[in-house]
Amino acid sequence: KCPDPRPKSIAGMCVNVAARFFKRHQGFNSTKLDRRFVHTNFNVARTLRVPDVDLYFTCCDFFTPEGNKIVVGTHNGELRVLNVNDSNEEFSASVSDSYINNIKCSRDSQFVLTSAWQTPMSVLWSVENKQFISKLQFNDEEYVEFSNIKQDKVLGTKAETATIYDINTGQVIRTFKPVTFNQYNKNRATFCPTDELVLSDGVLWDVRTGENIHKFDKLNNTLSGVFHSNGLEVISNTEVWDLRTFHLLRTIPTLDQCYLKFSSQNVIYAFMVQNESLDDDHVYDSSFKVIDSYDYSSISTTDVKKSIYDLTVNSSGCQIAICENQGGYESVSESVIRVYTVGRKRDEFEGEIEEEEEMGSDE
Amino acid sequence: MAHNYIVTAQKPTAVNACVTGNFTSETDLNLVIAKNSRLEIFLVTPEGLKPIKEVGIYGKIAVLKLFRPADEKKDLIFILTQAYQAMILECKYNKEREDFEIITKACGNVSDKVGKPAETGILAVIDPKARVIGMRLYEGLFKIIPLEKDSNELKAYSLRMEDVNVQDVEFLYGCASPTLIVIHQDLNGRHIKSHEISLREKEFVKMSWKQENVETEATMLIPVPTPLGGAIVIGQESIVYHDGSNYVASAPPIIKQSTITCYARVDRKGYRYLLGNMSGNLFMLFLEADTNSQGNLYVKDLKVELLGEISIPECITYLDNGVLFIGSRHGDSQLVRLNTVPDENGAYVVVMDTYTNLGPILDMCVVDLERQGQGQIITCSGSFKDGTLRIIRNGIGIQEHACIDLPGIKGMWALQVGIDDSKYDNTLVLSFVGHTRILTLTGEEVEETEIEGFLSDQQTFYCANVNYGQIIQVTPSTARVIKCDSKSMVAEWSPPEGRRIGVVACNNEQLVCASGTEIYYIEIQDGKLEQKSTVQLEHEIACLDISPLDEGATRSDIVAVGLWTDISVCLLKLPSLEKFYTEKLGGEIIPRSILVAQFEGINYLLCALGDGSMFYFVYDNESGVLTDQKKVTLGTQPTILKTFSSLSTRNVFACSDRPTVIYSSNHKLVFSNVNLKEVNHMCSLNAEAYPDSLALATKNSVILGTIDEIQKLHIRTVQLGESPRRIAHQEASNSFGVISVRTDVQKSEGLLPTRPSASTQTQNITTSSTITTLAQRPGVCTQVEFGQEVEVNNLLIMDQNTFEVLHAHQFMQTEFAMSLMSAKLGDDPNTYYIVGTAIVNPEEPDPKTGRIIVFHYADGKLHQICEKEIKGACYSLVEFNGKVLASINTTVRLYEWTSEKDLRLECSHFNNVLALYLKTKGDFILVGDLMRSITLLQYKQMEGSFEEIARDYEPNWMTAIEILDDDNFLGAENSCNLFVGQKDSAATTDEERQQMPEVAQFHLGDMINVFRHGSLAMQNVGERTTPTTGCVLYGTVSGAIGLVTQIPQDFYEFLSFLEKRLKETIKSVGKIDHTSWRSFRTDQKVEPCEGFIDGDLVESFLDLSRDKMRECVAGLQIDVNGVKEEATVDNVIKIVEDLTRMH
Repeated sequence: KCPDPRPKSIAGMCVNVAARFFKRHQGFNSTKLDRRFVHTNFNVARTLRVPDVDLYFTCCDFFTPEGNKIVVGTHNGELRVLNVNDSNEEFSASVSDSYINNIKCSRDSQFVLTSAWQTPMSVLWSVENKQFISKLQFNDEEYVEFSNIKQDKVLGTKAETATIYDINTGQVIRTFKPVTFNQYNKNRATFCPTDELVLSDGVLWDVRTGENIHKFDKLNNTLSGVFHSNGLEVISNTEVWDLRTFHLLRTIPTLDQCYLKFSSQNVIYAFMVQNESLDDDHVYDSSFKVIDSYDYSSISTTDVKKSIYDLTVNSSGCQIAICENQGGYESVSESVIRVYTVGRKRDEFEGEIEEEEEMGSDE
Repeated sequence: MAHNYIVTAQKPTAVNACVTGNFTSETDLNLVIAKNSRLEIFLVTPEGLKPIKEVGIYGKIAVLKLFRPADEKKDLIFILTQAYQAMILECKYNKEREDFEIITKACGNVSDKVGKPAETGILAVIDPKARVIGMRLYEGLFKIIPLEKDSNELKAYSLRMEDVNVQDVEFLYGCASPTLIVIHQDLNGRHIKSHEISLREKEFVKMSWKQENVETEATMLIPVPTPLGGAIVIGQESIVYHDGSNYVASAPPIIKQSTITCYARVDRKGYRYLLGNMSGNLFMLFLEADTNSQGNLYVKDLKVELLGEISIPECITYLDNGVLFIGSRHGDSQLVRLNTVPDENGAYVVVMDTYTNLGPILDMCVVDLERQGQGQIITCSGSFKDGTLRIIRNGIGIQEHACIDLPGIKGMWALQVGIDDSKYDNTLVLSFVGHTRILTLTGEEVEETEIEGFLSDQQTFYCANVNYGQIIQVTPSTARVIKCDSKSMVAEWSPPEGRRIGVVACNNEQLVCASGTEIYYIEIQDGKLEQKSTVQLEHEIACLDISPLDEGATRSDIVAVGLWTDISVCLLKLPSLEKFYTEKLGGEIIPRSILVAQFEGINYLLCALGDGSMFYFVYDNESGVLTDQKKVTLGTQPTILKTFSSLSTRNVFACSDRPTVIYSSNHKLVFSNVNLKEVNHMCSLNAEAYPDSLALATKNSVILGTIDEIQKLHIRTVQLGESPRRIAHQEASNSFGVISVRTDVQKSEGLLPTRPSASTQTQNITTSSTITTLAQRPGVCTQVEFGQEVEVNNLLIMDQNTFEVLHAHQFMQTEFAMSLMSAKLGDDPNTYYIVGTAIVNPEEPDPKTGRIIVFHYADGKLHQICEKEIKGACYSLVEFNGKVLASINTTVRLYEWTSEKDLRLECSHFNNVLALYLKTKGDFILVGDLMRSITLLQYKQMEGSFEEIARDYEPNWMTAIEILDDDNFLGAENSCNLFVGQKDSAATTDEERQQMPEVAQFHLGDMINVFRHGSLAMQNVGERTTPTTGCVLYGTVSGAIGLVTQIPQDFYEFLSFLEKRLKETIKSVGKIDHTSWRSFRTDQKVEPCEGFIDGDLVESFLDLSRDKMRECVAGLQIDVNGVKEEATVDNVIKIVEDLTRMH
């Protein structure tokens, strides 16, 4: 093998954004480097708190696509809609007697899916006049999500069984129950981006025929896997599988035990799965990672110094919200939802003010 | 809702693809060029390239290929657009319409609902046997379109391609099944691999061969035709040939210096290839073949030879007989010939022709140097060695070849004297007050002479060669004919009663003279002037014309007369001088010059007045009536109209303080300015040394020159030889400031420029000191390895008229000049050039330091007045209430100019990813962010702070911004879209007020780099019926210039209706829906176009046949004095014509 060519120019299409500024205007493609640049910095735009001390947030999702409202779930089964701009609570409802562990809002802000620990475990709420109206109850479904292209179906997960429901009639459209199961601890059945396939408990199903297409090798105990937004791959924990050939394409060790959230800005956010069997003073992982959804290369790791319970990305990929709690699982001392602006640098604002004051005092 | 009209003034000029083949017929050799969304088809002739057809495509052309289906004798075109519209086109000659037609043979959309567009761009290739088209559109997939005969739908199948980061794909020659070869990249490096495709199963069936770890920078594949077969892999430093079994590598040192970007095969067998690189070097690659012991042909060696320098090529195609077309995106495209022997510089390349390219337009400014009320644009165009400034104005250029100092000319005519067998003029007659002078042109020499029989002690009113080998001269006292051969006067005519001739008009056979209110009609015969008739009109005659109308005619049957006192135009019959038509012009300004002329078969009567305005009418010679009166303003002084011929078309020259050429295009008159300050008189001149020229009399001189090809936009080029990036005009010093970048190479003796360029070719060079504290920081001065290239940034001061580089100031090594402005600050009377820079450490994601430097250029010297260290890159600078407004990394900052001539920070705004662009209006500041669209700030004078007023929350990766008015803000982003964000001050909640919703969206298909307020059109020309407000010009990556203007809602609705009709009437090439073409389109979303009228579509109305126009107009309502009426074709033509006058 020949030696690699030496970089010819000191400042070609280089990582320094100023050096490639004019290159972009000359028509050279710099989107990958620009994407990396943007997804390295996250700055707190808002911190949303609960007034009551003994209440804490457990999960969150953007209620509106533009990201100005967030629905949060609490440990005692409340659902609250918070306004991001003024931090005020718009409306709320007590929807369960237990810890809410999953919230999914439909893109039109009409419906919200929740999952909790007690029956009815999952519920489809319709939002009308600032009220949550129970529309469908999925008594035994531990986890639920909407279909992707048209959000007219709900996919529920109960252990290794996945069920598709019609959102309007509540009727079961199809059930997928593997003959031999993998029994992932955290199985979450999921639709592929085109809603033609379902992945549940490591098994791939054809939605149309209901047939079992493939069973991926089980290489971890927790996560069954999710579809990549490119529609070509399945990411099961650290493994990336090809959806057509079922070949193992690559292994990404940084994704171990991570939930993944896809951003429309072509990156994937990864944060560690909570383990329910943790003891009281266990401190959860406090950082989230960003990887490039094109080639799985690592872009950044951000430490928020609090336990991350949930992370959600708004539709434009410009904001993320993180449910951050301080303290152990049963002893949360401070609970906040932090909304971060993607791409903005942290803390420069405070630094600058001091500096300006200093400068002012000089003269 | 916002209502905007957007239209292209200069079509894209950058070439992104070119192909050669037999497209228009079996025997025609054609060159087909793609320029962004346009396709140009040429015929290759021994005389050069002949344009045949230009077609607009509703899409940005991503791939252009020519292929020949089996059993066909003609080639077809395959086009794939950036929005995944595929089409196969054929060109046929339509005998009825006498024009070439583009026929869409097949088309289809090949996009996927889900899928990540590949980051290395769209690739598409066609199997050499034309069995299948292969496309790499999305990451991880390869699409094929099997080419079936007679199918008019292009249907694509997706194959899974596990190879990621695919750099290039090609089909191999001589394979039983279509076989693809791919360069792909993984963690270990780049590899090549071949895939065989089964068309029946629509799958990759097997991998024939592969080669792992080719060069890490391998970017290009060249398939080699049979009998050799296999492929060539082009890398940064090496070239490899591989055919599965045989492997030959070569690392010619000459290719190392730059990346090879394109190739062209020279011969059918595939032994010779032309390679072009980013430095504009042209190489020849030879495959040396031999026969092995089995008698099989194999490649033995690869040889590369440098042929010479060309424009930085984007694509190359070999035409014929050693002639190539070089398509360029960074410089002018070229037609070049390869010689077999080198010239004195060792180059084999000779440039035969160049084709102007403005792209990429990095920056531009609009100036009105001559204060004519007409802007001209100066652009920073081109990249690297092909960097230029372009001076663009709406108008026609005169190339000056000679200039004679002669003040006070009152008239001028070219004659042929004593040279019967020549077609050339050799004499110029110049008339002055009280005398006449005659100049002889011998070669390039000009000499004063005399002609016997000529009256030289009188002013000449008219002089010309006329029938029977005679010359006519008309002076105030007499009209006389002189025989050319005998040089003697043979006839003379004087008005009766010793009257003096006041006005004259003449053609080859006829003469009309006016004296006061009398007109005399005289016929010119052999040795005789015979007065035929006379008439007295009611008012004094101001001007006359008897130009023959029809082509080839030598006499006229009407006289056009302009009258004093009642300010009218009348038409008289010849020979009777009987008046048959009168038209009152109104007003009080006297007609000064009248002319009848035929353009494109339509007769016009033009009448210029004493105030520089001009009326024009259509003259119907059947009915003898003047119709369609229109008025335009050409200048401010009395105007003289003269006809002249240019490139075999008849045009009119209007001599005035704003000289204008009047010509006809698409059966309408077009008024185009000339790049001369004033012209008092002119005549055509076709002398041996000055063929096809014009003689133009200005106040003090006569200019002999040629006129550029008549086109609306006139472009002049100033070669820099380096990359210009920012430009600012400074009136105070009559100069332009230009930020430009050249490339130096580290040699043993230090950093040396690679070539002479603007910044090295001036006497005055200064350098930013590298001993400042800033320069001592780590990363500021990095060690440069031997042979490495370094970008050297300069501020050039250039003369505003000559564009001579007066001064070059070189910035520190690793200091990038990012922004530039010329401004007056505070109470300081000086005007400064202010530069914002960044110190770039290539390892860091963004600069940590930079400078704002204030320079003063005066008395031929550049002084640095002040230097302010800043914490990052200064991307943008704007003068703001006498202060310096700068965007520095994530912040927007305002600096005051203190009495100590220092910059003091007043306030800052944070909340950006990167604040790249700034525009201001009053107290408002618009900020364009790298990713987070646009934000509006307000400066609070009292508090001395910024307040964020509103923000667009959509993620838009901005490339340029502009403020349209107090509420509307224009943005352009990197997926080639435009949008208008609107501030809603009336919103009821704070939350709504803080939003800046996108109320208008449009897909331009070209990336805009710069917006500037300004106009290309002459201000206040004629009566304009179109109610437009403001005008923002834009410049793009592909060299297009266009404008955006705001229109009222009812006009928007009218045009929108017309647009809808045009969409139905005009059949698009490739059957692409216009609505989908103009939809706002990014990787994330597609939203319908709204709030913008596509002016290019609307103005194509004028190209339609009358029938089609009628079809479009049916049912269209227009507002006539407040009353809605059914629009007529002519109403709409007039409206659309007025729209076209904006550019």
